[in-house]
Amino acid sequence: MPPTSRRGLLFGTAAVSAGALLTACTSNEPKNSAPATDNVPAAADKPGTPVTIGFAGPQADHGWLNAINENAKARAAKYAEVTLEITEGSNDTAAQIGQIQTLINKKVDVLVILPADGKALTQVGLQAMKAGIPVINLDRVFASPQAYRCWIGGDNYGMGLNAGRYIGEQLKDKPNAKVVELAGMDNLELTKQRTQGFDDALKNYPNIRKVARQAAEFTVESGQAKMAQLLQAQQQFDALWNHDDDQGVGALRAIQQAGRDDFLMVGGAGAKSAMDAIKAGNSVLKATVLYPPTMAASAIDLARALGQKKGVSGMSELEIPASITLYSAVVTKENVDDYLPTGFS
Amino acid sequence: MTQPAPVTTAEPPVGEAAGRPPLGLRADVRNLSLLGVLAVLIAVGGITRPDQFLDTSNLQLVLTQASVIGVVTVGMTFVITSGGIDLSVGAIVALASVWATTVATQEYGFAGILFTAVVVGLGCGLVNGLLIAYGGMVPFIATLAMLASARGLALQITDGKTQIVTVQSVLDLGVPDAYILGIPPLVLVFAAVTVIGWLLLNRTTFGRRTVAVGGNAEAARLAGIDVRRQRLYLYLLSGLCCGIAAFLLIVLAGSGQNTNGNLYELDAIAAAIIGGTLLSGGRGTIVGSVLGVLVFTTITNIFALNNLQSDVQQIAKGAIIVAAVLVQRRTARGAAEA
Amino acid sequence: MATPEPPLLTMSGITKSFPGVRALDGVDLEVRAGEVHCLLGQNGAGKSTLIKVLAGAHQPDDGTITWRGEQVTLTSPVAAMRLGIATIYQELDLVAGLSVAENVFLGHEPTTAGFVVRRTSARTATAALLRRLGHPEIDPARAVGELPAAQRQIVSMARALSHDVRLIVMDEPSAALDPDETANLFRIVTDLTADGVAVVHISHRLEEIRRIGDRVTVLKDGRAVAGGLPAKDTPTRDIVAMMTGRNVEYVFPERPSVPAAPTRPPVLRVEGLTRQGEFAPVDLKLRPGEIVGLAGLVGSGRSEILETIYGARRPTAGRVLVDGRPLRPGSVRAAVRAGLGLAPEERKAQGLLLLESVTRNVSVSSLSRFSRGGWLDRTAERAAARTATRELSLRPDNPDARIRTLSGGNQQKAVLARWLLRGCRVLLLDEPTRGVDVGARAELYAVIRRLADDGLAVLLVSSEVPEVLGLADRVLVLREGHVVHTAPARELDEHRVLDLVMEGSPTP
Repeated sequence: MPPTSRRGLLFGTAAVSAGALLTACTSNEPKNSAPATDNVPAAADKPGTPVTIGFAGPQADHGWLNAINENAKARAAKYAEVTLEITEGSNDTAAQIGQIQTLINKKVDVLVILPADGKALTQVGLQAMKAGIPVINLDRVFASPQAYRCWIGGDNYGMGLNAGRYIGEQLKDKPNAKVVELAGMDNLELTKQRTQGFDDALKNYPNIRKVARQAAEFTVESGQAKMAQLLQAQQQFDALWNHDDDQGVGALRAIQQAGRDDFLMVGGAGAKSAMDAIKAGNSVLKATVLYPPTMAASAIDLARALGQKKGVSGMSELEIPASITLYSAVVTKENVDDYLPTGFS
Repeated sequence: MTQPAPVTTAEPPVGEAAGRPPLGLRADVRNLSLLGVLAVLIAVGGITRPDQFLDTSNLQLVLTQASVIGVVTVGMTFVITSGGIDLSVGAIVALASVWATTVATQEYGFAGILFTAVVVGLGCGLVNGLLIAYGGMVPFIATLAMLASARGLALQITDGKTQIVTVQSVLDLGVPDAYILGIPPLVLVFAAVTVIGWLLLNRTTFGRRTVAVGGNAEAARLAGIDVRRQRLYLYLLSGLCCGIAAFLLIVLAGSGQNTNGNLYELDAIAAAIIGGTLLSGGRGTIVGSVLGVLVFTTITNIFALNNLQSDVQQIAKGAIIVAAVLVQRRTARGAAEA
Repeated sequence: MATPEPPLLTMSGITKSFPGVRALDGVDLEVRAGEVHCLLGQNGAGKSTLIKVLAGAHQPDDGTITWRGEQVTLTSPVAAMRLGIATIYQELDLVAGLSVAENVFLGHEPTTAGFVVRRTSARTATAALLRRLGHPEIDPARAVGELPAAQRQIVSMARALSHDVRLIVMDEPSAALDPDETANLFRIVTDLTADGVAVVHISHRLEEIRRIGDRVTVLKDGRAVAGGLPAKDTPTRDIVAMMTGRNVEYVFPERPSVPAAPTRPPVLRVEGLTRQGEFAPVDLKLRPGEIVGLAGLVGSGRSEILETIYGARRPTAGRVLVDGRPLRPGSVRAAVRAGLGLAPEERKAQGLLLLESVTRNVSVSSLSRFSRGGWLDRTAERAAARTATRELSLRPDNPDARIRTLSGGNQQKAVLARWLLRGCRVLLLDEPTRGVDVGARAELYAVIRRLADDGLAVLLVSSEVPEVLGLADRVLVLREGHVVHTAPARELDEHRVLDLVMEGSPTP
């Protein structure tokens, strides 16, 4: 198992409860109607001392990353005393290092960093911490805990686990059930973690066998191409787990083109188009496992609290936790209305 | 100035004129070696997955998947044959596909989407062509700049979001009901582009001038060919192919996304090169390029049917490129010595 | 200067063929230690090939190389360098982005532990070499790209001397230098030879050879027509005659008994055509059936004039008229449409589509004739191309043969057939027998004369005076971009032309 996912597991049990508390308190999942518009901020919502937050993320060339930026911007705009310094997104490690160093030199109060590559940007995280700027590490984790004050992110392993559990429960009474996996980019560690979680969950269901797995590239085009091949290879199966709703658009297109509807499909990430399809209930897509981009809004809350030396309301501790792992909820027709507002396009 | 040559009085050698040119034969030999590779692949597919591989629906699948990149490769073959390169094809496909699927464009329905995709492709090709032919820029640099700007513009248009196509007539083109005699419309377009491309390269003055410019641009210029105008047309042609490919991709994926056409430039160049088109220009084969595309698509298909993962697929793709080029060098050397 | 010991280098019977042409045909060269041996010859005489063989860059097909009494095989440039043979090429092979010291020691850097470059010692050694060459002002740390051409030449020289060198080959070293720099270069050469180093010096400039040369070998058509002549005493005219003359007597075709009727209007008129820095205003009239020759040495502007008439270069003044109508300046297409055709000097680089068949090389300028709406009639194309090549007795008689496999003379015929097929009326021939085997030339001359007899006007450029005199009806003699004399070919002889082309020989 990769080190990151082990870390995820270790603090998973401890952090999920804290995360749940925070989530309940920030309330940006079940109840709000648009990302970060009418929800209650994490710390006290009355204006405090001014805080400048530096935000550096990858290039928003993908729906989920775009939603990250939008969530961060919308949340920061809610606070009169928060100034958000947001950099041009970049997928190039060197360019992102340069952008973060500029933010350090500008002496922002808190940094929120979603690294293009967590390991490669560890040094610049350390550098910021040494310069006395607390770092909120968003989602893709640095190699050293010294490089951030607080890590907040999704649970890739948990995503696979929950997708596997959902499918397992749906198929537990069916003998010799077959499942197929359409994974994301294979050169990313998170893809391996999602697959691992999925496989581990399926071990609890001896009647279910994973018969095929192909990796797409988080794009509609690759989703269509790989799904078409999978459908050709597997003339009959009972369930499909697709890691990413963006590539899921292509996968659904391929399924439609092949004229197949004899299985159930579970998506990943929580795109609005997927939730709409789940709600409509007229396609094979029955559920999607969240990897909520609202984490960016939470990261802004945490950064503000850090800048104002506050803790998290709803928790007994005076300090903000060192790490917060979000819960990968399963969105189905039953609860889709609660989650629709967080869906991204 | 139109005075005829003083030589046309002699009797044309009727009998021999019908003989097959050895140059054509040599090109056929090259294609044969690639056909051999394809035959081996088909045997492997047939043996490992006899039920799924040798199935009509799989043939439809492979050809459909080959259509988009295939159309791009036909355009690329012309550009490479002329001694140029077009690194911007993937980006042009992306830009054309997102521009053609904006909410505003979709209001104009089927025609609006098709028209926009083709015009955006042509427009990018025109800019490439003007920069290279009349601006004196090196093709590598000019099309690299186009790659960056077209990708950037595509991202700006979409804001990173997936643009779902709602025009039903476009979506309908990609489902089995639209198949004509069992042939998907996308494949028909690919076939038409291939045939037109072959005729253009081998049977017209345009094709002959393309080969001449690629073989020796200075000699072509001194022989009275307008080299610059020819170059402009070639990049326009490549842009047109990208526009058509973008439309096919919209039909196939039912959407437009700025990540479309990722690394098409490399796939198209690789397919053309293993097909037998010279990277240095002066020799190009449409049949070879299409075979190259089919080889790549078939590999992907066989690997997916056998549930092999993308790491293995990439390794195999690299190995095939090296093997195909090595085989060609041997045949080419043999032909040169003959 | 001659020493009684055996020569430093003896090359004998060196033969080297490239597809289509024999570049060296049994060349002998003998160089003694401490001498400046000058290698003379026209473009294409085989000088470059010979020095590449000597530098180990080409492998000879035949012949032996003896170095200090022992027979050697120079398998690579490194092998030649190890023996002490250094070559300074015309296009300097320096790396612009590296410093002077890095260039001088490129490939044999002084190192510690085998890979750590000792930069300081490389710089010190470079500075010492530059002092020896009389250029202490060149900073070894500067990038070579920033240096003027003359100083780069010195760096090349320093690089040669950084090896334990016994023979330096210099390919036209003075071409890029002004007189002062040339003087310095010659001083260095004198110093080197005093130390016993031999220098093989390639140049077109006769007066340079007089100044520093000891002996002269003259190359022509891949053969050494004279070897080891005394550089100081051999009369200039003899040397030039050897360079430009004939080592084989050619049969030139008969001129028409009645010269082209002066009453017929000229098809081509050139009026005051000028290109700044290349040639002074040129006036010229060319009538159908007439062959006019331009004679002159390299650098006299002869090829430039031809290319400017053709539109491949844009004139700074003057105009070209065909049938009294002026051509759009600087447009090859306009010239071709008006009926001009060029057989360029560098046939492979400028004339041929080397990957293609004979047919396609011939038809390339007439494609629209075999097409309707862009659609080619390939049968008609092939038949017409074949008719044209048969007209010129091109061998082999196979329209599908690859042009690359043809001999130089037949490749030239393919170029002529191209213009024949186009229906061209003015043929511009730039060195038509360059790279054509000696034996095949007479046939080419006959072809050219026959084309003229059929009504074509031919403008011929050649560096071989007998060729111009034998083939042309009228001759323009060029010197340094000026037409110095115009006369019917019958009224000129070789000596007279040589005097004209060399009079007040070009200043360095």
